Amino acid sequence: MEEYAGVDKSNSTTLPLLPAGRELEPLMVRYQGGDFSAATALIYRISPQLHRFFVAQLASRPSADDLLQETWLRIHKVRHTYRSGEPVLPWIYAIARHVRVDHYRKVMRTSAREQRLEEVSGVAKNAQATHGQPGVDLAALLAPLPESQREVLEMLKVTGMSLEEVARATSSTVGSVKQKVHRAYKRLRQELGSLELRKGRGGERL
Amino acid sequence: MNDRHIDEVLQQAAQAPDRIEPALLQRIAGSLQPSLHPVRPLPRTWVLVSRLLLVAAGIALAGAFRAGFNGYAKMDKSARVLVFITLACFAFAAGTEFVNSVIPGSRRRVTPGNLLLIGGLVLLGVFALLFRDYHTVHFWSAGFVCLVTGILHAVPVGLIGWFLLRRGVALNRVAAGFAAGAFAGLAGIAVLELHCENFQAFHILIWHTAVIPVSAVIGALIARVLPRSA
Repeated sequence: MEEYAGVDKSNSTTLPLLPAGRELEPLMVRYQGGDFSAATALIYRISPQLHRFFVAQLASRPSADDLLQETWLRIHKVRHTYRSGEPVLPWIYAIARHVRVDHYRKVMRTSAREQRLEEVSGVAKNAQATHGQPGVDLAALLAPLPESQREVLEMLKVTGMSLEEVARATSSTVGSVKQKVHRAYKRLRQELGSLELRKGRGGERL
Repeated sequence: MNDRHIDEVLQQAAQAPDRIEPALLQRIAGSLQPSLHPVRPLPRTWVLVSRLLLVAAGIALAGAFRAGFNGYAKMDKSARVLVFITLACFAFAAGTEFVNSVIPGSRRRVTPGNLLLIGGLVLLGVFALLFRDYHTVHFWSAGFVCLVTGILHAVPVGLIGWFLLRRGVALNRVAAGFAAGAFAGLAGIAVLELHCENFQAFHILIWHTAVIPVSAVIGALIARVLPRSA
């Protein structure tokens, strides 16, 4: 298996995040043509941010691994629906999002509520780490947001997609994406503001 | 706490490395290899929309040919132009929405619900402008016949449209079915405008226009019960 620039396939398993760019399009076209090296390159380059996307949507890491595999199987199955010249990331994220929704429905039928409550309770702890400290947990940070706002913010701020690309990935309009981002920021301002307030009061008492 | 601060927090969170087992990626690549063969990409959106419009126009004309072009003959020239241009524009928008709803990552300019609302209102406006006979004779019986006729012509358009786009993958099947139904309903209305010579305003405003929402709902219901293909 050939090596790909910028991709670490050694024992160190930290993989780089992909900047949203046009360089994926030729790979996708070669993948449609049956080129295995192109398929592998896409998998190695896109999987880290797809994995992060699933983790940020409150999936556990094993679940995120499963969702990642399921997403690539779906992508493989419907790869003919990509048309050259179109942006690749929104196409991939639209499919990934669909996989996640299916998974979410399945989880909701079992124990989703318990899992979510546990993770939300970790928000305050993780948000406290945001003030100049490394290792912020994105999933916990975005946990107070509704699912639709969380995924939009994650695509915009973490994946680096444009508003237009996020709109394509979420099958909505640019106006709708803007509205969700606005509401998400409002909610985050409230959450982080109240956290600071609590922190200040705690300091006064001390 | 301002937006810039939130941006910084999010960027910091985004920079935290994510770890994936290389074995997982190798496993994924390995699982795709056996079935990796060249595939033919779907045609461009305009090609697919053109095919849908041809099917809709063909079925509408065939239906009117069988039943008679009585309505078209009774309309004056300006009414013909206005009604059929409005229907064509609405059909183009609905066809594009239908195609976009079955291709992942497509650009969406309007949601299916808004398209139905805006298109329906425009159509109602055109009908209200052109048809001013406010008498109501055989309102229910004649109206029901027109509604059924419109839907019977919409069904084949929707089914053939779904068949034409079968290589796509509807991420939200209900929304795709709704868009397909709305598009097909326009073919149903076209048949009624070509054939129906009942120009009473309420008949056209209510029963003819009702074909679109009824057809859209039928499309959504059918899509909901269809088995998943992807």
